[in-house]
Amino acid sequence: MNNTIGIINYGIAGNIHSVKKALEKAGGKTLIINGPSDFPLVDKLVIPGVGSFKGAMNELENHALIGSIKKFDKPILGICLGMQILAELGFEFGKTKGLSLIEAEVKPILCDGKIPHMGFNRIYVKTPNKLLQGVENEEFYFMHSYEMVNYTNISALTKYNGHTFVSAIYKENIYGVQFHPEKSRKAGIKLLSNFVKL
Amino acid sequence: MTVRIIAKLDVKPPYVVKPVHFEGLRKVGIPSELASKYYDQGADELFYIDIVSSLYQREILDSEVERVANNLFIPFAVGGGVKNIDDCAKIFRMGADKVVINTYAVQEDPSIIDRAAKIFGSQAVVVNIEAKRWDGRWQCYTDCGRIQSNKDVFDWANEVEQRGAGEILLQSVDSDGRCRGYDIELAEKVVDLTNIPVVVSSGAGSLEDIKNLIEASNPSGVAIASLLHYDRTTVQEIKQYLNKNLVMPV
Repeated sequence: MNNTIGIINYGIAGNIHSVKKALEKAGGKTLIINGPSDFPLVDKLVIPGVGSFKGAMNELENHALIGSIKKFDKPILGICLGMQILAELGFEFGKTKGLSLIEAEVKPILCDGKIPHMGFNRIYVKTPNKLLQGVENEEFYFMHSYEMVNYTNISALTKYNGHTFVSAIYKENIYGVQFHPEKSRKAGIKLLSNFVKL
Repeated sequence: MTVRIIAKLDVKPPYVVKPVHFEGLRKVGIPSELASKYYDQGADELFYIDIVSSLYQREILDSEVERVANNLFIPFAVGGGVKNIDDCAKIFRMGADKVVINTYAVQEDPSIIDRAAKIFGSQAVVVNIEAKRWDGRWQCYTDCGRIQSNKDVFDWANEVEQRGAGEILLQSVDSDGRCRGYDIELAEKVVDLTNIPVVVSSGAGSLEDIKNLIEASNPSGVAIASLLHYDRTTVQEIKQYLNKNLVMPV
């Protein structure tokens, strides 16, 4: 196995460049996924986070990617919106059905602080896993207005202005992080290298 | 959550320049070299503003933006002359995470903000507000402080939030490049009246200026240019100083 990481391409709405370059920095070999025929070529999958829940699901549907992602049984990493669309439902620009790989909903962050939650913030690991090994007490870069509401697959939490939300999830072959490891300096590269080595 | 320390590069291709009071320019370095330097110092984010593309109706120089993006693993915002969704898409393709909009939204069509937010997400849309004191109020300027508009800064700040901007980069035409401290009153008011993050720029001349700004207005981020460009301090030093000296209101 040559351990190639597929990166889902969203078309217009995305900076997948930074995810690609960070994965390469972390020692990974990458391939941009534009359609279902690319899936057999990869051993892992990264779903980056760009645009809105509705926009992202539309893009996946237009490129006929939904079925292949749902069938993928090797490691998957969802980043930011890429984690959020793993849920069953999203409420950004109306109700939208997600990939339904995680039992969760995605709702606006309701708290006293400024929204989007933007900047470096700490994670608190609840259920350790290989992805978060060695970065348990690090700060990562967040930029989001929505959060995943989930009670069963939490691997880390983060606090923002007295509000606690899910910042990482884990279920079988599926990992998700609300923050952007590709924008989180050395800690982010370390997390991505953990994913590369899975 | 700690205040973001953001390095700001004002670029007149191919150089980073330092506008003094938004006029006379001094060359201070090459964008990609300075970007790497500030990244290594621990900057939380980087802003790259092409300060002439709007005025000269010229496109942003993509090769240099790409070079900057290639060496950074922190968020990177790019602005200058953004007029439509294609311009935004191009900026994201160069490796930016956020697009910065100003002149076109103020002078031509503010709905560019709504459209960009809908496609790229609010978190990726920064609106740059150039404020200048005028008769007891603040007015919006464009084209790097050259052209006055009839927009009131506070009304405009509310409007861009309503339209879906995810962040405001607040610059002061009066304080920029003078290194005599921020326009704290302006910062306080804009931070208070908006519900989105505000990054305050223009005027840091000392570590104490930065501390005073944060204590008075609690912005989400501070953008620093001259202090870093002229090696008067480093991002590391700023962070250490703030850790030690910052007293946040309870």
